[in-house]
Parts: sequence; structure tokens; C-alpha cells
Amino acid sequence: MPRPRLPPPALFLSLAAFLVLVFYMVPLILTLWASLTPVRNWDIAQLRQFVGAENYRRLFHLIRFDPDVSTVVKTTIVFVAGTLTVNVLGGLLLALAAFIIEERASLGFRLLWFLPRMTPVAVFGLLWYYFFYPQGTLNAILLKLHLISHPVNWGQDVLPWGPWSIIIFVNGLVGVSYGMIIFYSAFKAIPKDIYRAALVDGARLRDLVFRIMLPLTRWHLIFVTVWQLLSLLTTYAHLFVLVEWGVVEKWHGMTWALYVFETAFGSAVNDQALASAAATLLVVVGIGLGLLTLRLMGFERELGAIRGEL
Amino acid sequence: MVEVELRGVWKRFGDFVAVKNVNLRFPDGKFSSILGPSGSGKTTLLYLIAGIYKPSRGEILFDGEDVSRLPPNKRNVGLVFQNYALYPHMTVFENIAFPLTIKGLPRGEIEERVHSVARMLHIDELLDRYPHQLSGGQQQRVALARALVKEPAVLLLDEPLSNLDALVRLEIRGELKRLQRRLGITTIYVTHDQSEALAMADLIAVIHRGEIQQVGSPEDVYRRPRNLFVAGFIGMPPANLVKAAVTRTPTPCVVIAGGGEYCPGEPLASKLEALGLEAVVAAFRPEDVVLGEHPMEDYVSMEAEVYVVETLGRENLVTLRLPDGQAVKAITSPLLNPRPGDKMYVNVEPSKILLYDPDTELNIEAIEAAPAARPVSLAGSPERRRAAQEED
Repeated sequence: MPRPRLPPPALFLSLAAFLVLVFYMVPLILTLWASLTPVRNWDIAQLRQFVGAENYRRLFHLIRFDPDVSTVVKTTIVFVAGTLTVNVLGGLLLALAAFIIEERASLGFRLLWFLPRMTPVAVFGLLWYYFFYPQGTLNAILLKLHLISHPVNWGQDVLPWGPWSIIIFVNGLVGVSYGMIIFYSAFKAIPKDIYRAALVDGARLRDLVFRIMLPLTRWHLIFVTVWQLLSLLTTYAHLFVLVEWGVVEKWHGMTWALYVFETAFGSAVNDQALASAAATLLVVVGIGLGLLTLRLMGFERELGAIRGEL
Repeated sequence: MVEVELRGVWKRFGDFVAVKNVNLRFPDGKFSSILGPSGSGKTTLLYLIAGIYKPSRGEILFDGEDVSRLPPNKRNVGLVFQNYALYPHMTVFENIAFPLTIKGLPRGEIEERVHSVARMLHIDELLDRYPHQLSGGQQQRVALARALVKEPAVLLLDEPLSNLDALVRLEIRGELKRLQRRLGITTIYVTHDQSEALAMADLIAVIHRGEIQQVGSPEDVYRRPRNLFVAGFIGMPPANLVKAAVTRTPTPCVVIAGGGEYCPGEPLASKLEALGLEAVVAAFRPEDVVLGEHPMEDYVSMEAEVYVVETLGRENLVTLRLPDGQAVKAITSPLLNPRPGDKMYVNVEPSKILLYDPDTELNIEAIEAAPAARPVSLAGSPERRRAAQEED
């Protein structure tokens, strides 16, 4: 008897489906499950008990009444909004600069901005540790210029904007190259004759950017914004290093994703149930914000109207 | 309206020389054509005039004023691209209005001018559409409208008809010519299609490998090709180019295979003599051939064998082989329908035969009129020709 065989499409999809299932769906379901149990200190047996929405009640109570947790919420909002702006607008500006300058110089320019992304997190974190810590480069420069009279611990003492600026700066530097690469290739993909036609029609650089390049790369703008939004909500590697090494004050350097990590794995708390609830909340907020952004930027409109070949 | 002049213009891209020492004058208000095969540098030449490229050397003048260093937006030129280059995210109205919007003209004036140019080109029904909703011919009109709406001093057209269906092409060809006459804009039209150039242009500049080969009226270029390239490029099919020997008895005669003998009169005979050539290339047009079963009196007659007959409807195109194997094409009445293998006579009136120096590839008749060493300057006025000669 011949063995039953999968039809080819299923065969091709099976590997990806397997990976998504094992590394995304199963953890998601486990997280959701754990958020409904009292599991703490890795006591797996507690996973069999069921406490309903108790962890969510605790979470919202903490957000309302624990000043540290509400600081985390504020930090998350400021961090995501600030870094997203830096990443999208900065990416656009860098892409424009790379597009305008001469081709060979452009390659070096783009590589330079890609360095932060290619540098290991710990190395990059160490670099900015040396820059921002009280006896570091920043203070040395400011003292030389007589802008300050004694070293300032920017990340610890200048609350809240000291640590907020530092985390936005460091993550912005890492993330900005992403937008740059996407926008740069989008600008390159606009046919040369369109630029030439615009030049002959009398366009200056400003007209080229605002009337030709940006409208024609709207799609890329939507994509980069949503993509960066979602990754910023969940990123915590650089933040972890900055907080751990004391470059920034703990609660003003901690976003929701890092809070989830600290609650689940941090030596002090080890409250996996609460962390699961917080993680679930993050997923829900992420989906909501993503959809909202797509709606605001007219994603469906773009899908509906396919405008010729570009 | 302006007169456009190029003086000693060169354009290099790295090691590649795209345009070599071009001297040209496009008369004010005339329809001129730059004609050449693909890769000949004709579009580069157009972009140089538009200001998209800057010349490596030489000057470009609009009405005597040097514009070589001016960016495109300061030259007041209208340019229609081969692929139209319409802005895909703008409606037809916004596309046409673009040059005016950028100038910051008042809304009312923009509307008026866009509507008036759209009416003139019969696209006023399409103003709300997007480019992808238009046919090729309609897109082409929009591109033309966008170029004309700013009332340019020079209208530049880069192969504007090559992406259109044959019928639409004929229709727009006629319209374009009428429009140019009416508006009187100095127009420069780049094409690889000689029938377009011959049909529309007041003046044709033939370009090949970045060098101007000949400048003249369509009649000039067709009837008196200055060199072998032009003779072999213009015409559908182009002129027959047949290698021939020169005998001296003692006056020079040209002997073509198959018994053709052509003893030119003065002044050609003495030029031939002065050049001391042993061989020449004889050129004659397929439509100047009279095919017959016998040699004809007062004609240069060559015996040839019919190789293939192509039926084109209005006429037949017959390819024959001379005894030495060289091919000759003849256009004949569709009633004459020889069979491959038939022996026939290729008869050509002596006055229709042009002779070329096989080394310099120049028309022997033209050699003295325009010394071989110098590139052609534009025919234009006699003053200009004299001035150009004095520069040498």
C-alpha cells in the first residue's frame, strides 16, 4: 500500500509552519495559560491551578498605585514614541542624504550608519557606558567647554529626561539604519526619468522630496513605521545592558518589555504569572497599535488603489 | 522662441565618449530632428540641451546666450520622454499642472492654462484619471501637454512615438507636426525612425557613434547622403551599396559586376581622377532601380539573378545577386513578379548613382564642397557656413 503523502504546498509550508508553531504559537499559548495561574519561582506544579483574572487585577493595580510600574508605562510611551520618530524621520533624512551624495561616498555613508546594528549589544552598550557615565566622555567634553562645572550623572540624576534621552539616543542609533536602507532603495526604485521630468518641469530639491519622492514611497513609510513600532515595543536588549550597568536609572530606563523580563527572570521577583499577564497585555497593545497605525496611514486605501507600475 | 546652437560639444561618461565635438544649429521656430540608431548618442544630445547633462566641453547657446551651466529648471524647455515619465501618483490634471504649481502660479491661472492645453490636445475628458488608467496614446498626449503648458522656448521630444501602436503613431505624428506649425516652438525631435524624421522635420541631423554625420533638409539627406553611413541608414530599405572598380580609358569609368559601366561627367570625373581611387562604392536607391529583361539605353545596366521576392502589397521588394555575389535590392510594381533564379537586368539612371570613397566613406561629390577632415557644421545660412570654415 502506498504511504499517504502530503500535497506539495503543504510540504513546502510544513517547515515554516513547524517553526511558527513551536517558537511562536506554543509560547504564546503557554504565556496566556501561565497568566491565568499563580506560578512563581518556577514552581511548575502551580501551572495546574487556575486563578482567573487575578494576575491582570494585580497588574492594573500596580500600574495605578505603584509609582515604579507607572514610571515603566510612561517610559515605554516616551521611548516608543521618541525612538520611532528618530528612526522614521532620521531614516528618511539619512536615506535622502545617501541618495543625494555621490554613489561611492554613499556606500561608505550607509555602511557607517549600519555599524551600530552590526555591533554586538554588549560592545555597543559598553561604548555608550563610557560615553555617559559621570567620568565619561560626555562630561569631559562639557567640562572642557565650561558648560558644566562638575560631572553630572545624566542617566541617574537628571530625571526623567536624562535616562529617557539616553535610551532614545542609543536605540535610535541602532534602529535608524533600518529606515535608511528601506527608504534609500525606495528612492532608487523610482525611475530616473521621473526625476528628470521633475527637474525639467522646474522642481527644486524641496519639490522633488515633497511632491515626488515622499508620495511615491508612502508604502515604504507605512511599512517602516509599523515594523519599527512593533519591534520597539518588544525590544529590550540594549535597555537591559544600560539598566544593568547603571548608565540609566532603573525605572526610567525600563520599558514594558524589559519589565516583563525582570518580573519573570529578575532575581528579586521571579513572578512568572504576573510577567505572563504583562506579556499578554503587551501583545494585545501591540496588535491594537499596529492596526491603528495602519488605519491612520491609509493602508487599505493604498491596497485598494494600485497605481501603475512602480 | 529661441534658436538653439551647440558649439564643439563633447560629453564623456568615464572613458566612454557619448558625444563628439558636435556643432549644430537648430533654427528658431523650426522642427528639427536628431536621427540615429540606438546608442548613437542622440538622447544624450537632447539631455545636454535640456540641461539634464552638462557638457564635458563646448557650449550650448539659446539665442546666443550660453546656457551650458544652467540647470534644467532655468532653461525653460519642455521635454517629452520616450516612456512619458508621468507622475504615477498624480491625476492627469495634477501632472499637467505640475510645472505651474511649482512656479507657485495662482490657482485660477493654473486651471485656465491646464484646461486650454488639455482642450488643444483633446484630453480634457481625462483630467481626473490617473496615468495607469490611460492608453499609451493618451499618456503620450498628457506628457506633451505637461511639456507645453509652461510655454517653453524649446520643445524637446525623445522618441515620443516609439511606444505607440502603428496607427496611433501615424495619427499623433500628423497632429504633432500641425501643432508645431501652429505654435511655432523651436522643436527638436530625437528618433531612430527615419520615416518619422523624413515626414516631420524641416531639418535632419544624422548622428552615429556620437558624431554628426550629416545635416540637411529631408530631401538633402535622402537624395545626397554625405557618407556611406547615411546612405546605408536612410531609406526603407536603405540605398544599395555596391563595390565597384575604377578604370581609366583614359577618362575614369566605374565598373560594376554584371556589366554595369558608368562614366561620370564633369566635375565628378576630374574629382575621381584627382583622388586617384582604384575602387569606389556606388550607391543607388532600390526605388531608382528599373528591373527588366533587357539592358536599357542610357541606363547603367547590370545583369543579376533574382534571389528572393517579398510581396509588400503596394509594391514588391526584389533582392538580386550580382555575378560577384553582392546583393542589390529593387522596388518594383506588384505586377512584376519574377521567380528566384531568373536572370534580370538592374537598370539605374546614371544621375541616380552616387559614388563614395571606400576609405573615407565620403560622398566623392561632396568632398570638395566640405573638406573631408572637418565635421559638418549645420547647413543653415551661408554666413554660418563661411564662419565655420573660417574657424578652421
